Amino acid sequence: MDVDMIFKIAAIGIIVAVLNQLLIRSGREEQAMMTTLAGLIVVLSMLITQISGLFESIKSLFGL
Amino acid sequence: MNIVSLCAVAVLTSILVLSLRRHNAEISFLSAAAGCVLILISVLVNMSSLYDTLRDILSASGIKLSYITILLKALGICFLTEFACDMCIDAGQRALAGNISLAGRLMIVLSAIPLYKEIIDTVLSLTGGSG
Repeated sequence: MDVDMIFKIAAIGIIVAVLNQLLIRSGREEQAMMTTLAGLIVVLSMLITQISGLFESIKSLFGL
Repeated sequence: MNIVSLCAVAVLTSILVLSLRRHNAEISFLSAAAGCVLILISVLVNMSSLYDTLRDILSASGIKLSYITILLKALGICFLTEFACDMCIDAGQRALAGNISLAGRLMIVLSAIPLYKEIIDTVLSLTGGSG
């Protein structure tokens, strides 16, 4: 894992926020919500592997 | 990663989270979580050599290996529950945080039960009780 990960997540957040605003302005609330949800799921799936790596390393290090 | 870059990562992540919170609160929280995981992983990678040294010192002092294992297991439980507790507090879930911290304490007590048994056996053998 690298610092790039944090920047990547922040970039996804900015892109999703811009898309959300655009879609709401053009009157497509459902699609805006779907975009937000998709961004959230993408970031979550990126983060889940990292968190599981952290838990695995703690488990192997401390013999849990 | 040295301490300077760790501090830089922490400050930078907080700035990112602050600037993102207004537009996208969920992803700003996830970004903070990514920062936490990054810092904790890089610290733990450095800690593995410290861990080996600690284990060598403790086993050289003549303490039983099972006791050392229990001690280090308690340390690991502390790390895990602290991380989960802080994440829950950040997400605004104080009840979950309190519960997970209570669960961590109980798990530590549970894994230390063999030590209590040992103490009770020693006391009983000293006082001559038959148990």
